[in-house]
Amino acid sequence: MKSKSRFRFDVKWAVILAIIAFLLVFQVLPLLYLTIRAFFPEGRFSMEGLKRIYSYALNRSCLVNTLIVSAMSMVFGILISFPLAWLVGRTNLYGRKFFRTLFVTTYMVPPYVGAMAWLRLLNPTVGTLNVFLKNLFHLSALPFNIYTRGGLIWVLTTFYYPYAFITISRALENMDPTMEEASRISGASPLKTLFTVTIPLMLPSIIAAGLLVFVAAMSCYGIPSIIGAPGKIYTVTTRIAEYVSIGSAEGLTDATSLAFFLMVLALIILYISERVLARKNYITISGKSMRPAIVDLGRFRIPITILVALFAVVVILIPFGTVFATSLTMNMGKSVFAAGNLTTKYWKTIFSRSSIFKSAANSLLYASLAASFGMVICLIMAYLSERTNVKGKSIPNFLITVGSGTPSVVIALALIMTMSGRFGINIYNTLFIMVIAYMIKYMLMGLRTVGSAYSQVSPSLEEAAQISGAGWIRRLTDVLFPLIIPSIVAGWFLIFMPSFYELTMSNLLYSSNTETLGVELYLYQTYHSQQTASAMAGAILILVMVFNFLMGKLSKGKFSI
Amino acid sequence: MSVITIDHVSKQYGNVTVLEDFHDEFKDGEFVTLLGPSGCGKTTMLRMLAGFEKPTSGEIRLDGRVVSSADTFVPPEKRGIGMVFQSYAVWPHMNVFDNVAYPLKIQKKSKAEIKERTERVLEAVHLSQYITRMPSELSGGQQQRVALGRALIAQPKVLLLDEPLSNLDAKLRERMCFEIKEIQQRFGITVVYVTHDQNEAMTMSDRVFVINSGVVQQSGSPIDIYQHPANQFVADFVGKVNLLKGVSENGTIRLTGVNDILPYDGPLTGPVDVMIRPEKIQIVPGEAHLKAVMLREFFMGDFDDCRVRSGEKDLRIIAGADTFGKFEPGSEVGLEITDFRVFPESAEDYTKILT
Repeated sequence: MKSKSRFRFDVKWAVILAIIAFLLVFQVLPLLYLTIRAFFPEGRFSMEGLKRIYSYALNRSCLVNTLIVSAMSMVFGILISFPLAWLVGRTNLYGRKFFRTLFVTTYMVPPYVGAMAWLRLLNPTVGTLNVFLKNLFHLSALPFNIYTRGGLIWVLTTFYYPYAFITISRALENMDPTMEEASRISGASPLKTLFTVTIPLMLPSIIAAGLLVFVAAMSCYGIPSIIGAPGKIYTVTTRIAEYVSIGSAEGLTDATSLAFFLMVLALIILYISERVLARKNYITISGKSMRPAIVDLGRFRIPITILVALFAVVVILIPFGTVFATSLTMNMGKSVFAAGNLTTKYWKTIFSRSSIFKSAANSLLYASLAASFGMVICLIMAYLSERTNVKGKSIPNFLITVGSGTPSVVIALALIMTMSGRFGINIYNTLFIMVIAYMIKYMLMGLRTVGSAYSQVSPSLEEAAQISGAGWIRRLTDVLFPLIIPSIVAGWFLIFMPSFYELTMSNLLYSSNTETLGVELYLYQTYHSQQTASAMAGAILILVMVFNFLMGKLSKGKFSI
Repeated sequence: MSVITIDHVSKQYGNVTVLEDFHDEFKDGEFVTLLGPSGCGKTTMLRMLAGFEKPTSGEIRLDGRVVSSADTFVPPEKRGIGMVFQSYAVWPHMNVFDNVAYPLKIQKKSKAEIKERTERVLEAVHLSQYITRMPSELSGGQQQRVALGRALIAQPKVLLLDEPLSNLDAKLRERMCFEIKEIQQRFGITVVYVTHDQNEAMTMSDRVFVINSGVVQQSGSPIDIYQHPANQFVADFVGKVNLLKGVSENGTIRLTGVNDILPYDGPLTGPVDVMIRPEKIQIVPGEAHLKAVMLREFFMGDFDDCRVRSGEKDLRIIAGADTFGKFEPGSEVGLEITDFRVFPESAEDYTKILT
């Protein structure tokens, strides 16, 4: 460590302390205040607020909905992801590389896009797919109703299974293939090997993947707000948002209690999943980099490939196609291909209406600011934990992890309660509150990317610069940062992208001057024109693909989603 | 116990040939080693025997039964083979007993039989006191024994070993060499052993196949390949060697750059490569017709590793430990070449591999 002299000004520690102060004020304080408010609803200690989570029928029903819906999404997510990951990673499925990329890419799509599509497809009275299926099988009534718990589970599952798929795929790829070969040579068939070796070895990752889906579904606001609200199916997140928009003191107390509960549940689950992964981490990479043995699907190769392709069509092609089709439809009651029904009117609208233009510019600005400031914090904090031996060096890491694990609704509510002047800071209704919210929620992705990049750069490279006389800042900018440029770029985009199309926090924090793209889209979808909203969603999808392409290019092909 | 017939087997990945026309038969109870540098194709051959890779052409038979050919393929689990992997591949979610007993459980043997046979094998590999340990509580050497026990328990006809000792430290490696040899003889099993370490190959093998770039360079007993290497590569890869150029004429070889003439009655004439083992050069007292200057010597405990310069060439000499210190660096010594091998001249520099 550097000199222990108390009066020596050291840039390194000044920067690090400034960042810690920032995290303390804008993250720890709000979340702590929310917690305190949950226990002191009217200034005095009382469990009444927390009791109302289950004693008040309106709260209880949304709680039940959230738990059921998240649990079912978790179960279905694993049931879909494990076979998919195994088929794509370990068998001679046709087009496995293509399918892998496809399933991973949907991870970057804003979930509310899926909700919009399925709303159109499975509407109980006019849903396109509903009508199609009814005519196809000569049913007496439309088979599906999206405005149900089942509908909610369906959309949540189709949009959050990629979380599980990515986790499980990575674990499968990192597993020493000789573990399976040893089983084969011991006399076990491929199927027997799958159940006695592969699945038990993968169990920690499967559990962690499932819990990840559970937390994501539980914290999701976009999907239940678009699908649940018309069906009067409230979840904890939509209920909180409702209380906030009503704004009464009682409602705010209920919102605080629910938010506190949601936050604690999410953090406990994430903690458990980290523990499961850390303690029983069987996944080992062998010294020899051997390609895993590919299981021959034999005569099932074509049927299974068709099944996987069908899944991709239902889960990816149909919803995205629907969004684009809707954006090109004049009269939503008729098919897009009906005579005279095809129009580019809504696409022209989104490029001509000033409110849309302004919200897009806002989103671009806020997301860029969040990504840039976020990366500065990530670069310094990762340095602190990877390169120094200070006591408590992992605390900022921990704070950033907690921030990311906290549901967006909770972050927004906590910021509203603390940043509107109560503690001498009033940034409510400004762009700062949006940028800070994005940073708290998405910085973790940048931190992980940069952290793993640091760990691959030998400290001796920096020491060589130090012995040549370079100070701390010079060492970072001359040696360390240039070596990890691809990771810095990737980290920046990983914060930028979700911030760019963010809906939940923006929806609670925006004011008339700080509308973002997500908010604008949501308002159009709910109140004005679904076609315009669909055109915006289509544009966002295209932009996300462009950003993803840019990230791949700028990080020299090392990173892409 | 079984015979392995490898009938003109070759393996390509796309356009790259990793193994070319391997054709031989491993005898019942034979200890065969496939020796070569990394990437030479030895592991590919082993994995084709196990059934993890399919030959591009050719046929593999176990005791006359075709297991791999153009139209037959027996998967690994149906071949009745035991195998020890380089990474051991001990399953971390099963304890020692369950790991070793797994093949018997697959065969659905009775509980009593499984227990009895597993305990016997664990005793043979000296793991009896670790029976309920989890792999994470075992050292590398112990995990290796678990892998060996698991490979032996089903009394396989053939045991395949893929560089099993490469992750162990030197002392333990030496001990395991003898143990593996002992177990092979006790179980009377046919062993195919893959390694890049010539010492392991020398210690255990009945027959060694030296492979380079997918081509078998030579097969024979360890003594054979050491004393009568078929070509420069084998001479260089197995053991240490001095490579000199020379010209063969009229029953002698004139060494280029070294002032010496060796008697030679072989068939080669014109430019040749001459390979001399360091221990086949002796430092002789007094006047000798081959003179050299002592450059350095390294005391290795059981021998004296010397570098001398003769004419324009540096030579390595391995002398007895008692020679050490007898000659000052810079002093003149006399040499005598007691044995050497002659090969047709080759442009390739085989000594590169060693440096």
